[in-house]
Amino acid sequence: MNEQLKIDFDKTVESLELSNENIESRKKNFNQFVENGFPNKRIEDWKFSDLNQIISSNIDNLCFHSDLELSKVDETIFINKFTHNKIIFLNGAISNIDFSHEDETKVLLIRDLDQNENFKEVNPLVSLNNALTTSYIKVTVKENYSMNKPLIIYNITTKDLKSTALNLKTDIFLEKNSSLKIINFFDDNSENNFINIVQNFDIAQDAILKSYKIDHKKNSNIKYCYNNINLKKNSISENFIYSTGSKFFKNEINCNLNDEYSSAFINGIINLKNSQHHEIKTNINHLAENTKSYQLIKSVLNDNAKGIYQGKIYVASKAQKTNGYQLSKALLLNENTEFDGKPELEIYADDVKCSHGATSGNLDEDAIFYLMSRGLSNQQSKELLINGFLLDAVEKITDLEIKDLIKNMIGITE
Amino acid sequence: MLQIKDLKAKIDNKEILKGLNLEIKPGEVHAIMGPNGSGKSTLSNVLSGKKGYTVSGDVKYLNKNLLDLEIEERAHKGIFLAFQYPLEIPGVNTNIFLKTSLNAIKKAKGEKELDAIEFLKLVKQKASELKFDEKILSRQLNVGFSGGEKKKNEILQMSILNPKLSILDETDSGLDIDALKIVSEGVNALRSKESSFLIITHYQRLLEYIKPDFVHVLINGKIVKSGGSDLALELESKGYESLS
Repeated sequence: MNEQLKIDFDKTVESLELSNENIESRKKNFNQFVENGFPNKRIEDWKFSDLNQIISSNIDNLCFHSDLELSKVDETIFINKFTHNKIIFLNGAISNIDFSHEDETKVLLIRDLDQNENFKEVNPLVSLNNALTTSYIKVTVKENYSMNKPLIIYNITTKDLKSTALNLKTDIFLEKNSSLKIINFFDDNSENNFINIVQNFDIAQDAILKSYKIDHKKNSNIKYCYNNINLKKNSISENFIYSTGSKFFKNEINCNLNDEYSSAFINGIINLKNSQHHEIKTNINHLAENTKSYQLIKSVLNDNAKGIYQGKIYVASKAQKTNGYQLSKALLLNENTEFDGKPELEIYADDVKCSHGATSGNLDEDAIFYLMSRGLSNQQSKELLINGFLLDAVEKITDLEIKDLIKNMIGITE
Repeated sequence: MLQIKDLKAKIDNKEILKGLNLEIKPGEVHAIMGPNGSGKSTLSNVLSGKKGYTVSGDVKYLNKNLLDLEIEERAHKGIFLAFQYPLEIPGVNTNIFLKTSLNAIKKAKGEKELDAIEFLKLVKQKASELKFDEKILSRQLNVGFSGGEKKKNEILQMSILNPKLSILDETDSGLDIDALKIVSEGVNALRSKESSFLIITHYQRLLEYIKPDFVHVLINGKIVKSGGSDLALELESKGYESLS
């Protein structure tokens, strides 16, 4: 792999017209990736998802450079339930940007790869992303500005893209007292690609971020998404992950509650069939007093699917009055499914409230009997119970339009 | 309507029903009384098709072999079980559940399904007859309902689904006098020449409100005595001991 990788790296760097400084930094990151390779199960954070093995058994001859011509975006996939701003990544390149619903002096966009500050090397995949990013966008929402409409980042791949690695990066800056609703929406039509996304969110004092991720369409891609979230005083980050479409998807969120009264909410649904394998991994770092975090993850596993939730809450010694909570519930509908939960609390302060819980089990047979005795078929009864099980995570979404959108996708009717 | 001959039921190799015989004709109300552990709930579970029992014997319902039917087919053909302990179903809206249930039964019967407006009209009417606060129906099914509300919800379901054979499994337990009256009125309103009831209870109290045509005493998996409604009064004064 390494020889091809080197050729692809040189091609990519050559095609991008970068500053020398940028190229040097990319080389450093590239070497870091080459040294480590894709993470495998011997690395603690990856023990339930051996990415190296997953990639080698699903993708032949992974290519790290794509020179596909930009094709036309299929506009029928756009969400039509509400108006929104758009950023469209098509096969790894930015094909369209539309912020026509906003005051253009209040939203700043930068696409220059040289201005992308490389992410610290937290793991080989982030290094790979640093080395090979082809598309970058930084969105800054100015002080006191609340975006009128949500921003949807469409991540689209087309059929002609095969066995290719895409590396995308976005930076979102919310200045003081600003707010943004953002949806990362995936529409994968390609086969057997590896998609590696790094997103950074810096949220200044009193700002509010609502960030939703929708991976709904069934596809054979292998995806990794690393989100880093920095929160300043009295700011809020609400996150929801709907994880159901891809062959493999690992969402990793690192969230730093840097100042007093900041809070983070991470809720999500993992709903899998066949041999899908999805993971949500969180690191919540309480680094100041009076910070709050809340996590609720609901998983439904069918056939021989595998679901994982690794949630860590870290409380620094000065982070007194921390309130941290996490709960994971999984429904295993078949004896061939697997769910791995790893809750971790690492607490160095003494005046904190932290709790975690995890359950996994099958549907309640008595409940199925109750529903069937009212004339529902076995299938209908199970669907009703499963949707009911998922609903309380979906109900955590505070944006009503987006909540309804996700309910519709799941098939929850009201 | 229902003929039960030599019904036996085992669970975990323990025989609970040991050869039960019973016949219910259209329009009749039968009460089954018996001490704890006599097999009353097993009888209602077996008739509504709950899994987990090894069942033998002959049960004819509307001239069909009832034991061959799946749980939901029994519901489609007009059997309704009011549960002793109605289940709490988190995340499932009560109204949606009621509509799904009613339409599943209508569909199986080849009748036209109700749309949302027709359904709400029906529910409104039935709920007010049972003095049941409609607001509760927009909540999750039985979640956080009081004991009385759960039982009223069972009777509401019964009156909406309009079954041919209703089995009430200790519907009176956990009800105060006012709720008992309302529930009984709900049941009485459904009495007709075509519909039959099997009322399972510990106490005679419910039978003051819902007057049965026949009373049977179930002890140790068998009906040991049958009679008219006076039998309930006799049991109330003498207890089950005298019969066992």
